[in-house]
Amino acid sequence: MITLHEVSKTYRLGKGSVVNAVCNVSLEVPRGEFLVITGRSGSGKTTLLNLAAGLTQPTQGQVLLGGAEIWRLADREQSALRNRTIGFVFQFPSLMPSLTALENVRLPATFEASGRGNGSAARAAELLELVGLPEKAGSYPRQLSAGQQQRVVVARSLINRPELLLADEPTSDLDEKTEIEIMSLFRDIHLTMGVTIVMVTHTSQLICYGTRAIEMAAGTIRT
Amino acid sequence: MSLLSLTWRNIRGNAFRSWVVFLCALVVAGFALSTTLIMRGAENSLRLALARLGADIVVVPEGSESKVETALLMGTPATVWMPQENMQKISAVPGVAVASPQLYLSTLHDASCCTVPDMFLVAYDPATDFTIQPWLKRRFGNDLKLGEAVGGTHIFVPPGEQNIKLYGYFVSLKGNLEPTGTGLDQSLFFTFDTARDMARISHTRAERALQIMPDSISAVLVKVVPGTKPQDVALGILHAVPGVTPIESPNMFQAYRKQMAGLLKTTLALLTITWALSVVLLGLVFSMAANERRREIGVLRALGARREYVFKSLLAEAVLLALAGGAAGIALGAFTIFLFRNLLISSLGIPFLFPSAAPLLVLVGGGLVVALVSVTTAALVPAYRISHQDPALAMRE
Repeated sequence: MITLHEVSKTYRLGKGSVVNAVCNVSLEVPRGEFLVITGRSGSGKTTLLNLAAGLTQPTQGQVLLGGAEIWRLADREQSALRNRTIGFVFQFPSLMPSLTALENVRLPATFEASGRGNGSAARAAELLELVGLPEKAGSYPRQLSAGQQQRVVVARSLINRPELLLADEPTSDLDEKTEIEIMSLFRDIHLTMGVTIVMVTHTSQLICYGTRAIEMAAGTIRT
Repeated sequence: MSLLSLTWRNIRGNAFRSWVVFLCALVVAGFALSTTLIMRGAENSLRLALARLGADIVVVPEGSESKVETALLMGTPATVWMPQENMQKISAVPGVAVASPQLYLSTLHDASCCTVPDMFLVAYDPATDFTIQPWLKRRFGNDLKLGEAVGGTHIFVPPGEQNIKLYGYFVSLKGNLEPTGTGLDQSLFFTFDTARDMARISHTRAERALQIMPDSISAVLVKVVPGTKPQDVALGILHAVPGVTPIESPNMFQAYRKQMAGLLKTTLALLTITWALSVVLLGLVFSMAANERRREIGVLRALGARREYVFKSLLAEAVLLALAGGAAGIALGAFTIFLFRNLLISSLGIPFLFPSAAPLLVLVGGGLVVALVSVTTAALVPAYRISHQDPALAMRE
């Protein structure tokens, strides 16, 4: 599903100082896996996830998504690949504040000119039901709790029936009960829909939800 | 959800930012339209006044040029005199095709014998006139009779009356000329015979008699022979007739043109400063907005929105706000100018005619373009930057 081959990412901070966020990492995520990446803050796990999604260009190395070398693609193809193949769940509130829950869920389906957006309202309603929020379809993000917002984000990540779900600290801002609910949702999605999941977390207790776990430290994979 | 729909939601979603952009567009477009409207209105007015006179040269008594120009342009009455024999001398100058004398008179101020105080009266000679007569022929098929007059567009018979009373003499208003935005709109035109009859009657019926200097005229309007240069003829008049000043048509109203040129410079400078300040302010607003929405845009890119889509969406926001603000500014500017046009004429001391529909539409289009260009220019760089930023970087705090 994803192949990272000797990938590095260096950030320049000005005045000649650099940060090596990811150093020479190689990683293979096969289809159907639920990979949990753990590590302390600043260990490079979010950067690794962004590299895997094609959200940031590696300083060196190759990133292959579904067999396609992502940074060889033009912006149009790269965006289409992300849109079709990947669902995202971010750590921070990522819903568009001016759109309702239903419209937020539909949003990724409207970016492609393939006409998939046409039937997206019904699918979005189904997904809101899946995440347990059918009655919140017309609510705006400010009218939802943090847990509800994250459920809407999960619903949005599934709108285009992605093969891969990338989740960056999806439960960091949630209480324990909601964390369990969200993680159960991920497990269901993995098991029932067969979606490959790569999740970044600093909470080692969440390793149990995955089929494999790796730990990052100082920009490299430790285990 | 279409790009336009998302754009509209974003506009509604950030009321403060949207209002700032809307108001900037309103100020730029409104100011651009208002100033252009004033300048175009004044220019148009001058052009129509010259066309109304229809003369290539206007000959006036030496030293009275500005008095006559003010009378014709602003409707401030002027009584100037020169010997009637000048008329024959001017007619004899080579290159003169037609010469027609005029008398410039005025109604009394605060007198019950005059319906309208301080009105500029123009008497013409029907035998030679080429200013009023052609219009009368076209409109009514005949000339003015004794006691009849035509007025500028603002002249009317007072309610409840059948005639206009001047020096106790009743003048029948036969019609109104088209507007010029100058003093001609507030002037009354009649024949020499009516003027003399009015002067005769005024001795018994007016509070003060109408004085027409014997064997005198106020001005001579000259048409030159086709193919002849008006400046050559004007030079000929200057040499042949002492005590007069021939003013060629293009040089008429020079004082006003200078005043307008000065006004134009000032308004252009103000317009440029306003435009530059607005573009800078808009640039700041868009940069701040782009910065504030970095994460949101990063998320859009992560979800599969192309750079082009994000760029278009940000520009569409700017364009919609520019169009709305521009339209509001234009409507407000045009309405204000229309409402206060008389105050404008008196305070700026320039003639003004509100443009008709077609030129107004061109100005409206121009105002919208100015607003659109200003806002789009200001939005272009921030929109390009943010849409081309690395999505992962955009999403980082």
